[in-house]
Amino acid sequence: MREVIKITNLEYVYPDGTHALRGINLNILEGESVGLIGPNGAGKSTLLLHLNGILRQKGRVEIDGLNLEEGNLDKIRNKVGFVFQDPQNQLFMPTVFDDVAFGPINMKLAKERVKEVVYEALKEVDMLYSIKRVSHHLSFGEKKKISIATVLSMSPQILILDEPSANLDPAARRHLIDFLKRLSITKIIAGHDLELILELCERSILLDKGKVVADGNTQIILSDSLLMQEHNLEVPSCLKADFQKKIEERVSL
Amino acid sequence: MHLPEIDKYAHLKSIFHSWEPRAKLVSFLFLIITISLLHNLISACAGLVLAVVLVFLSGIPFRFVFKSLTWLFLFVLLFFVIMPLTVPGRILFKVGFITCSQEGFNIALLIALRAISIGLLVFPMIGTMEFHKTLKALSRLKIPNRLIQMIMFTYRYLFVFIEEYRRMTIATQARLFKRRTNLSTLRITGNLISMLFIRGFERTQCIYDAMVSRGYKGNLEIIDESKLCCKDFLKSSLIIMAALLLNFSKFVF
Ligand SMILES: Nc1ncnc2c1ncn2[C@@H]1O[C@H](COP(=O)(O)OP(=O)(O)O)[C@@H](O)[C@H]1O
Ligand SMILES: [Mg+2]
Repeated sequence: MREVIKITNLEYVYPDGTHALRGINLNILEGESVGLIGPNGAGKSTLLLHLNGILRQKGRVEIDGLNLEEGNLDKIRNKVGFVFQDPQNQLFMPTVFDDVAFGPINMKLAKERVKEVVYEALKEVDMLYSIKRVSHHLSFGEKKKISIATVLSMSPQILILDEPSANLDPAARRHLIDFLKRLSITKIIAGHDLELILELCERSILLDKGKVVADGNTQIILSDSLLMQEHNLEVPSCLKADFQKKIEERVSL
Repeated sequence: MHLPEIDKYAHLKSIFHSWEPRAKLVSFLFLIITISLLHNLISACAGLVLAVVLVFLSGIPFRFVFKSLTWLFLFVLLFFVIMPLTVPGRILFKVGFITCSQEGFNIALLIALRAISIGLLVFPMIGTMEFHKTLKALSRLKIPNRLIQMIMFTYRYLFVFIEEYRRMTIATQARLFKRRTNLSTLRITGNLISMLFIRGFERTQCIYDAMVSRGYKGNLEIIDESKLCCKDFLKSSLIIMAALLLNFSKFVF
């Protein structure tokens, strides 16, 4: 398997002195779905912002063999689709069409091609009916789907989602999970919705205080109650039940 | 708070709604400039009548129009107080040592007629299409891109801003804050406003990140599909003819 993301010794200090990342080393393979978990302020969002060069300071980031530097930014931003947490910020254009077309236009696609990819992206997230609507009149769940379409239209190789299920109602969340399951590109999903991550990601990375504290199989990490407690997280209830069952099985033996 | 939705009635159907945005903008701008240059009371009256007729044809309810123009009316009223008192001329009436001049009154009337006509014309001009269509038309009419972006983002985030302000006032009210005329109210309101600015600033940063990560490099291109046809030229020539007639009516009266 090819490595699509390679991070070595990444450090980041915010202008106010907050040391948000302290020496991150990571490799992510093509096609992998990786959950990025950790308590509030762990540095998840900061780490993600490095993956398409919005933040850059110390250390090395390689995306699909390209070193993250000024000359490569355009190519890298075409490869990496970033869905920000608040769709209100992701949808800045007046209409849904304009928003989804924003990336492809910047990629200098021909006008007809832009229209095609916008249709495809909206169809993929089941929102074709809203193509002419004004973005700020949509519901939160709809905005979230459109946000995803705005990056899908750029056909990225890597999809980055920062807290994708925050503020979604259960039905919209379920819809999102099913949709992401179908999507076969490399995905990095940050957030506190551990059950979503458990469902979508084979592998998880636990981040705390700017450092990687665990990296491995999601199920193993999430059911390690000591590790989870230590980093202000909680074992998801579905795993707790699993654990309970195993204990009961053992007792009955 | 009242939302400044100029395009509230953009969904109606009328000859103005079906008019191609660029043709509509250019013809109305021509009419507006002509009216603003009228120096003759009778022509200005004719201009007002024309404006009222055009608003009527647009199907936009007069109640909405008048409500939106309240400030304009108040402003115009001011001239009826100032002008007769300050402009010298034939005395209309005298109260004590205060004299009102006919000339001053005429000037005030002229200003009022022109201002109200122009205020009214704004509605059939841009109230008959969604605001983004106005922007796209302006963009295609070679208005500087930076200016378009400024108007566009201001309009887009005005609603978010108002919503945020509303939420924050509700939050203060929930904590039993009551608006009174005292120092503490002033302080709390000041805090609210500064918070609003800080949040606005942070939001701007996030939006900018979202734009950059989708390939934004300072220039904003929008795909606009509107096409000019014969009917559009016909409508435009009618309006421009009306404007010319108004302009030449000064030779008649
Ligand atoms: N713009 C910023 N300026 C200063 N400090 C920041 C900024 N953004 C985040 N931080 C700080 O950096 C740390 C990591 O934040 P973040 O990456 O947002 O965490 P997470 O997404 O895991 O909750 C936190 O301590 C946070 O307070
Ligand atoms: Mg975060």
